[in-house]
Amino acid sequence: MRLDPTHQSDDGSRPAMVTEGDDTLLLRAQKGDMGAFEQLVTRHQNRVFAMAARMLRSDDDAAEVVQEAFLAAYRHLPEFRGESAFGSWVYRITANFALMRLRKRKVTAVVEEPEEPQFNERGSLVDQVADWTPDAETQTLDAELRGAIDTATAALPEDYRQVFLLRDLEGMSYEEIAAVTQESVPAIKSRLHRARLALRAAIDRFYAERPS
Amino acid sequence: MAANCKQCIDLLVDYVDGVLDTDLRAKLDGHLHDCGACEEFLESYRATTTLCKKALAREMPESLANKLHSFLHEKVGDDPKPDKG
Repeated sequence: MRLDPTHQSDDGSRPAMVTEGDDTLLLRAQKGDMGAFEQLVTRHQNRVFAMAARMLRSDDDAAEVVQEAFLAAYRHLPEFRGESAFGSWVYRITANFALMRLRKRKVTAVVEEPEEPQFNERGSLVDQVADWTPDAETQTLDAELRGAIDTATAALPEDYRQVFLLRDLEGMSYEEIAAVTQESVPAIKSRLHRARLALRAAIDRFYAERPS
Repeated sequence: MAANCKQCIDLLVDYVDGVLDTDLRAKLDGHLHDCGACEEFLESYRATTTLCKKALAREMPESLANKLHSFLHEKVGDDPKPDKG
């Protein structure tokens, strides 16, 4: 069993330049190569952990879910036929475990209704949008903005937050989200939209209130 | 304008996914062309996802990553090889 997933040259003196793709590692892992499986784990653990931590709002719970998910993935390797990417498969397994854990908690938090845009009686938008969008692709986020987004995400109703994380952060399809959440695609789209509106409003407010 | 702001904003999920049917898309495009507020709103709606992706990205703490690998070694060490064929 190889503890260090770093590729080494034959004499072990320097890192090899070739990086194996997930498909190659998967084939090796399916033949029992634990080192290959560990490389897959190392490659995907951050995104999988990030998703679980955001869903569960607890690093410790997320770490346990990630353990369960990768162990389940290993045990089901023989059945994995590669119809989807290994990463997508592991994200779905992790999302399932995280949702099961959330259901077990059975805690109903008091959550405010997400903020929505304001319209006048003719249905025209009355919100003023602060000019923060041109820099979104290139800007480096500072701690205050990260904090504002983190707080706004945490304040979303749980089912909105789940859908937003699975769709906008993890890029799962609506059908995949429907499979793990047991909700209809129209319901998922509605929650996603309301989550985006609430987060957009929070970012807008952050920029509007920020001292220049 | 063919539609009001509220009706247009309600369509944004399908609009940004590019799956809105042709007629509705044409209506929304027409509205966006004429309504600066909604055009800005759409930009901020798109930018929200970009900013949230950046803000919420994070790495697994090293201690938890080490624990994960130790856990898998321990558990998988007791398992038969996954490829039973």
